Amino acid sequence: MTRRAGFYILLSLLFIVVDSTLIKFLSIANIVPDILIIWIVYIAIREGQVAGTTAGFLVGLVMSLMGTTGSMLGLAALTKTFAGFIAGYFYNENKIYNTLGGYQFIVLVALASLVHNTIYFVIFLQGSGMSWSESVLYYGVPTTAYTAAVALLPMFAFARKYLS
Amino acid sequence: MRRLVDIVFLFKEYFLLLLYVLISVALLAFNDSPQIRTIRSLTLAAIGMTEEALGFIPNYFDLKEENKILREQNLSLTEEMIRLREAKLENSRLRKLLDLKEQTPFSYVGANVVGKTLTMLQNTITIDVGEGDGVKPDMPIVTDVGLVGKVITTSSGYAVGQILWNKDFRASAKVQRGRVDGILMWEGGNHLTLKNVAKTLDVLVGDLVITSEYSNIFPAGIKVGIVSKTAQAPGALFQTIEITPTADLSRLEQVFVILHTPDPARVALEHKPAK
Repeated sequence: MTRRAGFYILLSLLFIVVDSTLIKFLSIANIVPDILIIWIVYIAIREGQVAGTTAGFLVGLVMSLMGTTGSMLGLAALTKTFAGFIAGYFYNENKIYNTLGGYQFIVLVALASLVHNTIYFVIFLQGSGMSWSESVLYYGVPTTAYTAAVALLPMFAFARKYLS
Repeated sequence: MRRLVDIVFLFKEYFLLLLYVLISVALLAFNDSPQIRTIRSLTLAAIGMTEEALGFIPNYFDLKEENKILREQNLSLTEEMIRLREAKLENSRLRKLLDLKEQTPFSYVGANVVGKTLTMLQNTITIDVGEGDGVKPDMPIVTDVGLVGKVITTSSGYAVGQILWNKDFRASAKVQRGRVDGILMWEGGNHLTLKNVAKTLDVLVGDLVITSEYSNIFPAGIKVGIVSKTAQAPGALFQTIEITPTADLSRLEQVFVILHTPDPARVALEHKPAK
């Protein structure tokens, strides 16, 4: 358990670094996939709701401290906490590999990403005069779609590893 | 305690979510960005609306203390209200007395009634003016609405007045409308009697009675009362006339003493034995 926790922490830090440095090279019309959401959903499906929520909180907190979410300390922690919580809600001890290797994984990533982006834009655009619903529609939904599309890669990898 | 732990463990995911959300919100609150300021104002509005909606729910623990404070305030305000009411009434009375003072040619000295008797046969009032204020025996005592009596005894700072409800009270009076003269006296009850008025003379209920010029003590024209009843006993020469005084003797608080003394020459002449 401790070994696995350490493994998760290391990978989390790696993904945070990748997200803040390299992922912009994958942008399409300023839309980038959120690989950290994919990672948090993975932890939630593998380890449960508590682990998923905690992973979301810690990852978001580190991102906030690194300043990757602009000037709003705590925003990423809040949004990713909810993402991890929702993904962990669908945790089933007996169907871990089926979920990881199936369409359920994509659906959960999309759902977590949508919730994450909605909360993010609602808070981030307060006082700006911009409509958060429009921002969700023009940025949140495409980000969700892109993230879900990128999630296909690990999904196929899981399917080959666990289900074949 | 164990039950609480069991509950926490049962809903650990939700408690954990709540904890993380609180920490995140706390971190967000440290921000001073425009977004946070807007959220703060929205939160404040929401809290204000909720408090207003729930304002009807009493805080039991504060109610007792609040009640005590309110009772004390109530008592204090009631006392103040009574004082203010008294002051208002006194103000009104004094204004009327002041008007009277300004309208007549007489000199007056104002006085407070510091003692009175209303249940004896020789009822009197004690006033807080005396010889030092120029008051002398046989000076009339009035209010703004009518005659009260006359001074009978004085000291340096006080005087005793004989009021209308006194068996020894006498005054020469006249019915203003019909110019009918008579002698005013008190024979008990709460009315005066105008004596020696012939049956044939015109006196009606509602007529105003004033002091007449025949009185040496009371200047002419002072209001005394209103005719409340007239009666003619069969075989009697005079009619019975009852008069209700205009001055309310049961509520005397401030009076005026008219600084008027009988003309000594007239007194001497009237007392001179006839040859």
